[in-house]
Amino acid sequence: MSVSTTSAPVLSGVAANGPIQQAAGPAAREKIKIEGLNFFYGQNQALKGIALSLRENMITAFIGPSGCGKSTLLRVLNRIYELYPNQRAEGTVLLDGEDILDPKQDRNVLRARIGMVFQKPTPFPMSIYENIAFGVRLYENLPRPEMDDRVEHALRGAALWNEVKDKLQASGTSLSGGQQQRLCIARTVAVKPEVILLDEPCSALDPISTSRIEELIDELSSSYTIAIVTHNMQQAARVSDHTAFMYLGELVEFGDTQTIFTAPRQKQTEQYITGRFG
Amino acid sequence: MVNIPMSSVSVASRDLAVKRFAARDAVFRLLTRSAAYLVLTLLGGFLVTLVVGSWLALSTFGVSFFTSQSWNPNPDILKFGALAPIYGTLVTSAIAMVLAVPVGLGIAIFLTELCPLRLRRSIGTAIELLAGVPSIIYGMWGLFVLAPVLQNLENSYLVPAVAEIPVLSTIFAGPSYGQGVLTAGIILAIMVLPFIAAVSRDVFETVPPVLKEAAFGLGATTREVVRKVVLPYSRVGVIGGAMLALGRALGETMAVTFVIGNDPKVRASLLAPGTTISSSIANEFAEAKDAMHSSALVALGLILFVITLIVLAAARLMLLRMSKRSGV
Amino acid sequence: MQPAQSRSSSLPARRKSANAIFQGLCYLATALGLTALCLILGSLLYNGIGGLSWRVFTEITPGPGSEGGLLNAIVGSLIMTVLGVAIGTPIGILAGTFMAEYGRYERITPVVRFINDILLSAPSIIIGLFVYELVVVPMGGFSALAGGAALAVIVIPVVVRTTEDMLLLVPSQLREAAASIGAPRSVIIRSVCYKAAQAGIVTGILLAIARVSGETAPLLFTALGNLNFSLSLTSPMASLPLTINQFASSAYPEWQSLAWTGALIITAAVLLLSITARLLVSKRSGP
Repeated sequence: MSVSTTSAPVLSGVAANGPIQQAAGPAAREKIKIEGLNFFYGQNQALKGIALSLRENMITAFIGPSGCGKSTLLRVLNRIYELYPNQRAEGTVLLDGEDILDPKQDRNVLRARIGMVFQKPTPFPMSIYENIAFGVRLYENLPRPEMDDRVEHALRGAALWNEVKDKLQASGTSLSGGQQQRLCIARTVAVKPEVILLDEPCSALDPISTSRIEELIDELSSSYTIAIVTHNMQQAARVSDHTAFMYLGELVEFGDTQTIFTAPRQKQTEQYITGRFG
Repeated sequence: MVNIPMSSVSVASRDLAVKRFAARDAVFRLLTRSAAYLVLTLLGGFLVTLVVGSWLALSTFGVSFFTSQSWNPNPDILKFGALAPIYGTLVTSAIAMVLAVPVGLGIAIFLTELCPLRLRRSIGTAIELLAGVPSIIYGMWGLFVLAPVLQNLENSYLVPAVAEIPVLSTIFAGPSYGQGVLTAGIILAIMVLPFIAAVSRDVFETVPPVLKEAAFGLGATTREVVRKVVLPYSRVGVIGGAMLALGRALGETMAVTFVIGNDPKVRASLLAPGTTISSSIANEFAEAKDAMHSSALVALGLILFVITLIVLAAARLMLLRMSKRSGV
Repeated sequence: MQPAQSRSSSLPARRKSANAIFQGLCYLATALGLTALCLILGSLLYNGIGGLSWRVFTEITPGPGSEGGLLNAIVGSLIMTVLGVAIGTPIGILAGTFMAEYGRYERITPVVRFINDILLSAPSIIIGLFVYELVVVPMGGFSALAGGAALAVIVIPVVVRTTEDMLLLVPSQLREAAASIGAPRSVIIRSVCYKAAQAGIVTGILLAIARVSGETAPLLFTALGNLNFSLSLTSPMASLPLTINQFASSAYPEWQSLAWTGALIITAAVLLLSITARLLVSKRSGP
C-alpha cells in the first residue's frame, strides 16, 4: 500500500471531526500525568520509561502493533494488573496531582474513579438493572427512586435506554454484543468516574455497533477524560484529540491526533499509520 | 444526555465504604484460607488419629502384627495378627482389577471407537450414573443374588473341572459356600467397572482425532489404531484411572462385607471365606469392648490408609501428568 | 470409521480377523458390563417394589419377625445428610474459593488440590474411625451428630473440587470488569463469581448429597443405627443404609424385604439426584 491511498481516508476522518482542532489547545488541564513509568511481567519489561499526560475532558488514543504495551499502559492506570501476581509498575502516575501507584491509595476507590471498558463485552450474570446498580451500590446508599434515576441516566448516557427500558429485569447476557458493550459503558458511567479507559471497545463488534459506540465516546468526552486503545487507526483518527504511538513498550510519538496522522515526526509512526508494519 | 452531576459521591461515604470493604475482604480471605488449611489438616488428622489409636496394638505385637494370622478377640487371649485381612484385601482387589480392567477398557473402546454416535451419549451417561450407585446395593445384590448362583456354578462345574489339575485344584478347592474371596472380588469388579469405563473413556477422548484419522487414513484397522495410537497416547491416564479404581476397591467396605464370609484366615482356595481390612473393622469395631481389640482394628485402618494413600497418590500423579500433556 | 471398513476388503485375512475378534471382544465387554448392571437394577426393582407402600414411609422399623416401615431410617438419613451438607458445604465452598480466587497463584494451592483429590477417594471406613476418635469418644457415645460429622468429611472434598473447577471456568475478564468499577475482591467473588458459577456449584452439592445418602461404612460406628424413632442429635440414629445393612444380613424375611425396599428407595434417590445435577450442568452449558 502506498502512503497516499491509505492516508487519504484517515485524513478525511480527522477533518470531519471538526472540534478536535480547537480542543487540542494548551488550555486543557492535565488530568493524569505519567512520568518514568516502567512495567514488568515477571522478568519481562513491557513498558519502558513512559511519560505523557491525559488532558481533562479529552480523548487520547493509544495505537501501535500488538504487544506494544498500549493495553498494559491502560491496565496500570487503574491498577487492574494487581489482580495478578508477578506484575509490577515503577514510576509515577499522578491523578490530579496524587500518585495512584502509591500503595497507600485504595485501589478500589481508584478504580471507581477511573472506570474501564474491555475488549469483550462483560455483562455480569445478573439483570440489566442490577448490572448498573451493582457498582453504584458499592459506594453510595441510594433510595430506590434515586437508584432508578441513576440507572436510567446511565442507560440513556450509553444510548441504550430505549432498547432496554421495558426489560430491565432481563439478564444482561441476553443482549446483543453491541448492546452488551453499551451496557458495560453505562455501568462504568453510573459510578461517576472521572476518567474512562476503553481497551479496544469495538474490536469484537460489527460496524454498526462500532459507529454507535464511537458516537457515544464522542459524547462522553464532554464530561470525562477518556483514554482509548485501538487497533483501528481510522477509529483513532475519528474519535481522538491526542494520539500516542507505542512500539515495543516505548512511547514513540505523542501529540495532536491531526499532527500524528498528517505530519508524524518519527519514521516508525509514519510507517505504522500508513500500514507498512504492525 | 451523559451529564450525571459529578462529585455527588461524598468523600466521607466513600471513605466509610473503603474501611468496611477492607475489613470484610480481610475476614473473607482469612475464612477461605482457613478452610483450605482445614482440608490439608483433615488428611493429617486421619494419620495422627490412626497412629495414636493403633499405638497400643502395634507396640504390643510389633512385627508379628503383620506376619501373624491369629486374630483372637477372646478377652483371655487377645492376640492379633493382621495377615489374613491384609491378604484378603490384596487378593479381592487383585481379582477385581483382573476382571474389571479389561472389561472396562473394552467398554471404553466401544464407546469411543465403535458405538454409533446416537447411542454414545446415552450409554456413557448410564455408565456414569451407575458409578454413583451406593456400594451397599452391590453388596446386598451379591449376597442375595450372585452368591447362590456362584455357589451352584462353582460346586457343579468349576470344582469338578479343576479337580485333577495341580495348581488350580488348590486355588479352586471346594466346597464353595457362595460367600468367599472370589465372590467378593467379582462384586468389587462389578462395582468399579463403571468407574474404570468412565475414566478410560475420558482419557481416550483426549487423544487428538487427527492422530486417529491419520492412522485410519493409512488403512489401519480399529484394533491397530487402538493398540498403536490410542493406548500408547493415553497409557499414563489409563493406568492412573485403573489405580484410582484400585484405591476404591482396596478401601471398599459394604460391597465386600456381605459376601466375603468374614473368617480371619488365610486360605489357599479362593472359594473359601476370608476377610478384608475394611470388613473386619466394619464387623467388629462397634462391638469391640477391649482396648486392645479396638486398637488392633485401628491399626488395620492405619495399614489400609497407608496402602490406599500410596495407590491414590500414584494414581493422581499419573493423571496429573496426563492432563498436563494434553494441555487441559 | 467408514473409511476403515471400506478398506478392510483389501486387508490381509489375518489383520482382518484379528480386528474382528478385537471388535467382538469390545462388544462383548460392553454387553457383559451392561448386563451385570441391568441385573442389579432389575433385581432391585423386582425385590424392592413389592414392599413399597405407604407403610414404608409412615411406620418405623419393626422388631424381628414383625411388619413395619422405614420411617425412622428415612428421617435419620435426611437429618444426617442435612447435617453433613450443612457442615461440609460452607467449608468446601470456602476452601474451593481460596484455591480459585485468593490463593490461585499461591504455592500451597496445588498441594491442597492434591490432598483434596486423595480425600475424595479415601476409604470411607477410615473416615468413620477418624470421627469415632474425634467426636464419639469425647462425647461419650454414638450420636447423630457424629454421623453428620462423618458425612461432612465426605461432602467437603466433593464440594471443594467442584467449587474450584467452576470458579476457574469463570472468565477473568468478568473479575476485571467487576474490579474496574471499584468492587473489592470479596464482593467480586460473592456477587459476580459465585453467580456465574452457581449452577456448577449447586451441581457439586447435589452430587455430594447423592454420594453421602448411600454411605454406610462411616456411619457404622458414629451414628450406629437405631430401631426406634429418634430426633435427638446426641443419641444414636437410624439411617437407610444402616438399616439395610442390619436387615439384609438378618435371617428374618420381613427385615430382608424391607432391606430391598430401602435399597430401591436409596438407589432411586441417588439416581434422581445425579440426573438433576446433570441436567443443571447441561442447561448451563447449553445454547
